[in-house]
Amino acid sequence: MIKTIKIACLLSGILILCADATAQSAKSTEHDQHEQHQTHTDEHHDHSGHSMSQESGPASDHLHEHNKDHSTIDKTHEHAIDHSQHSDQSTEHGDLHHHHHMDHDHIMDHEGTMIMGQNLDKLPSSCKSISEEKEITVRAGRKYAAKFPGTMFAFDQQEWRVKPCSKVTFHFINEDQIRHQFMMHGLPKYLYKYGMFHLEVTGPKTVSGTIIVPGSDDTFLVHCDISHHMEKGMKAQLVVGKGGENIPSIPGLTPYNINDIYEAENLPMVSDKAEQSAVVRQITTAFTKSDTQNYLIILIGALVGLLSIPLIKKIMPSKKTEN
Amino acid sequence: MPNPILIVILIFYLAFTAIGAQASLLLPKTIKVDRAALTAEPPCDPKISPAWREAQVIDGVKIEASPGCNPDNPAWIAAAVKGTNNVSMDTLMKTGLSPDTIIKTDDLDGDGDPDRIIIKLEVMELNGKSPDFPGILPTFDIAPGVQPGAWVFAPKTSGMSTENFESVRANPLLRLPAPVIRVEQGDIVQIILENTHYFPHSIHLHGVDHPFAHKDHGGNDGVPQTSEIELMPGERRVYEFQARQPGTMFYHCHVQTHTHLSMGLAGMIIVEENRPNNWLQTLNIGGGHVRHPSVAIKEKFDQEYDLHYHAMDKELGDIIKKYNDPRLIARDMNQRYDITDSTEDYYTINGLSFPYSLRESLIIVKPDQKIKLRLLNSGGETIAIHTHGHHATITHYDGVEHNPVAQIMRDVFDMAPAQRLDLTLDTTNDGKHSYGEGDWLIHDHREKGITTDGMAEGGSMSSIVYTSYLGEDGLPKTSHFGIDLSNFFTQEYWQRRVPIWQDLDEVASLGSPAGQAISMDITTQNYLLNALYGLAVGLLIYFIFTKREYFKQSAMGAISRVRGDKGSKQS
Repeated sequence: MIKTIKIACLLSGILILCADATAQSAKSTEHDQHEQHQTHTDEHHDHSGHSMSQESGPASDHLHEHNKDHSTIDKTHEHAIDHSQHSDQSTEHGDLHHHHHMDHDHIMDHEGTMIMGQNLDKLPSSCKSISEEKEITVRAGRKYAAKFPGTMFAFDQQEWRVKPCSKVTFHFINEDQIRHQFMMHGLPKYLYKYGMFHLEVTGPKTVSGTIIVPGSDDTFLVHCDISHHMEKGMKAQLVVGKGGENIPSIPGLTPYNINDIYEAENLPMVSDKAEQSAVVRQITTAFTKSDTQNYLIILIGALVGLLSIPLIKKIMPSKKTEN
Repeated sequence: MPNPILIVILIFYLAFTAIGAQASLLLPKTIKVDRAALTAEPPCDPKISPAWREAQVIDGVKIEASPGCNPDNPAWIAAAVKGTNNVSMDTLMKTGLSPDTIIKTDDLDGDGDPDRIIIKLEVMELNGKSPDFPGILPTFDIAPGVQPGAWVFAPKTSGMSTENFESVRANPLLRLPAPVIRVEQGDIVQIILENTHYFPHSIHLHGVDHPFAHKDHGGNDGVPQTSEIELMPGERRVYEFQARQPGTMFYHCHVQTHTHLSMGLAGMIIVEENRPNNWLQTLNIGGGHVRHPSVAIKEKFDQEYDLHYHAMDKELGDIIKKYNDPRLIARDMNQRYDITDSTEDYYTINGLSFPYSLRESLIIVKPDQKIKLRLLNSGGETIAIHTHGHHATITHYDGVEHNPVAQIMRDVFDMAPAQRLDLTLDTTNDGKHSYGEGDWLIHDHREKGITTDGMAEGGSMSSIVYTSYLGEDGLPKTSHFGIDLSNFFTQEYWQRRVPIWQDLDEVASLGSPAGQAISMDITTQNYLLNALYGLAVGLLIYFIFTKREYFKQSAMGAISRVRGDKGSKQS
C-alpha cells in the first residue's frame, strides 16, 4: 500500500518537474548562483516521506534539476537533502556531471550527502505498531562545542528521548563547512545493516532520514565518526523509553572514562597589573616572591619544631629506659 | 631486638644468593625467543588483493601493472584519473572517496583533457588518544606495532574513519603521507581545504606558481603571518592557482610549521608539462609507483616513482597520545615542546618504515629501463639518499631543470629540508649507471636514517629490485640467500625484545642470556637491591647506635687487652 502511494507521489513529482522545465519559471537569486557555477544542483524532492526519488530513475530527473523552482517544490521540509544553504561557495567551480548512488539502504548524492540504514516501514519484532511519529532536528557544528570547555565539535543536544516503537525522522543540519555525521550504533541487525543508521553531509546543508526504534527500553550511541570528532565532543545518545545504560563521555551528560590531568598554569593576569596602592602592591609582591615564601616556610617549620619539643622530651626518656 | 636482626640476616641472604648465582662455574644459559611467542604479521597485507597488481583498464583508464606486495587500489587510480565526478558509481564505491573529492571539468584549451580541477582535502588525526578506552585511534602503523601520533591531509572520504565499527585501524585512505597531487601546467586548480581537525591549519604551496592573494578571500599563500588568518576547525578555504611552470613541488601546513609539518601535514605536488589528452592521476595515495603516468613522462621514461622522505619526533607525536583535551595538546605543542631540544625518531619513505616500505615503496625495474624518480625531503634535517648498485642523474633541483650539459651523476643525493630532486635512474648494466641485476638497497646514508626510534634495520630503507629478484608475493626474493625477514614483521622486534642475531647460528651464540633467579627486569632489580642495601646500612647504623655502650665497652676492653699485650711484650 505504502509503496503504491510512494510511486504515485514520485510520478506526480516528476510531472511537476517536467512542467517546471518547460515553464522556466522565475528563479530565486540563490538558484541563479547555482546555475552560474553549475556546482550545486537541487535534489528532486518527493513527498512520500523520506525515501529519495532517485529510485525512480535519476537520468530523467537530472535533466530538470537546473531548471527547477524552489518555490513550487519546496512545499515541505521533508526533502531529504537540501541544497539551499550553499550560497557561500560561489568561489568554487564545479562539475557538470554528477551521479547518485542508491541501493535499498544506501543513498548518496554527488556531494557525498548520505543516508544509510534508513527504515521507513519495517517494524521491529518487538513492536505491534508504530507508537508515534516524531521529528527531531539535530544541529551540528563547532559553535555548539562552545559550552563544553575542552571540546571542539558538538551536536546542539546531547540526548534525545523517544517512545519505544516510534518512527523518528532526524533532520540533520550541519552548520559547519566540513563533513559531519549523525551515526547511530547498536540497532537490531536484522533491520539495520551493521546495526547502523547513518546520515552524513558536508555543510552548511541538511539531510534527513527515518528509523523505527525497537520496542524495548534502550540507549543508543550517536556520534560523528570523522577522526576525533567524537573524542572532541560530537557525541550524544538516543534514549528509547526508559533507556538502558548511559553512554560514557558525552559532554555535559556523562563522565569521561579516561580523564586528562590538569595542572595550574602560571598565566599572566590582568590583576597583576591592576591599579593598586603602592604599599599594598609592595607587600603583595614581597609575599609572593619566592625568597619570602621560602623564609616563611622555614619559619613555620621552626615553629612546628619548637612546639614538638615537649613531645620529643616525652619520647627520649622512654627510649633511655628501654636501653 | 629480634626483628631487625632477622631482617638484616634475610637481606644479606638474598643479596648473597643473587651474587652466588653469578659466581657459579657456568655463565647463564642462552634463551632463544620462540617464534611462536611473537606477534607475527604476514609480509604482505592480506587485506590487499593480489589482483590489484595486474595491469588493467577501469572505466577506460589504463592502469600499469605494479608487481609489488601492496599496490594501490586500482579504483583509486581510476577515480583520480577521471575525477570522482566522472568515474562510474560502481568504481567510486570501491574507493571510499567522497563523490566531490576530485572534480574535473572544462577542457578550456580544447586539447582533450579537463583543465578545471578541484581537489578536496581534509585533515585527519592518526593514533590519537581516546577518552573512552586506554588506547589510540584510528591506528596507523608505520612498522609493526609502531604507531606515532600523526596528522595528515587526506583526500575527502565518505563514511567511517576506521575500517569498520569493530576495528580501530584507520580507513586505508587515512594514512601517511599526505597524497601526492598531480596537476597539469595551465590547469585552473582549486585545492579546497576542509578543516576537519580540532586545530587551525592551512596549505602553503611551496614551489608551485601561485598568486599571493586570492581574488575573493585574500590569502593564497597559507602563511598566517603574511597573507591570511588560520583556518579554524569546521571551516573551509579555497587555494587557487594556474601554474605556468612544471616541476616537483611541495605542499604543507604553515600554521605552527615547526610542529605541524613534522606531525605529517606535508605532501608532494607535481605540475606536469602540458600535453594533449593528458589525463593525469590527480592523486597518488601513499605515493610510490605512478601507475598512470602523464603523457610527458611516457615520452621519456618507462616508469615513474614518487618518493617522499619524512621524519617525525616521537615526543611530539606522543602529545596527542597523552591528552584528549585540545587545549592541553595546544599548550604542550605550542608552549612546552621545544624543537631546539628535539631529535627525530621515525624516518619514513612514503609514510612507512622498513619493513613496511618493502610492501609499497620498492622500485621494481628491468634492465635497460629509464625510470623517473621524484624525491622530496620533508624532514627537519638534510638527508643523504644512497642508491646501491646505481649512479642516477640529477635532472631537476626543486622542480627546475638543471642545465642538461651540466647534469651530474651521483650515488649519494643530499637533500636539504623541503628540497626536491628529480632523478633519472638508468638500469643499463655498464658498470656506471647500473652494476647489473639485484636487490639493491636505496637508503638514507645518515646511519640513523635506517633506524626506527633508534632500532635498526628500520627507517626509510627500501630497495631497487630487478624483476629477476622479485618473488611471487611481490617482495624481494631473499630466502635463497638464507635470509629471513620475518622477525622484522613482528611487533616484539620493534619493542626491542628479540635479540636480532639469535637465529644466525644453531646454538644462538648471540642470543639472550637467561636472567637470574628473581625474574625481574634489570631496572627494578637494581632498584630493589639498592633499597635493600640502604635498608641494611640504616639498620646497621641503628644497631650500632643502640648498642654503642656495648661496643664502647668491648672496644675499650680490646684496647686495654692490646695494651696489656704490648705491655707484656715490652716487659
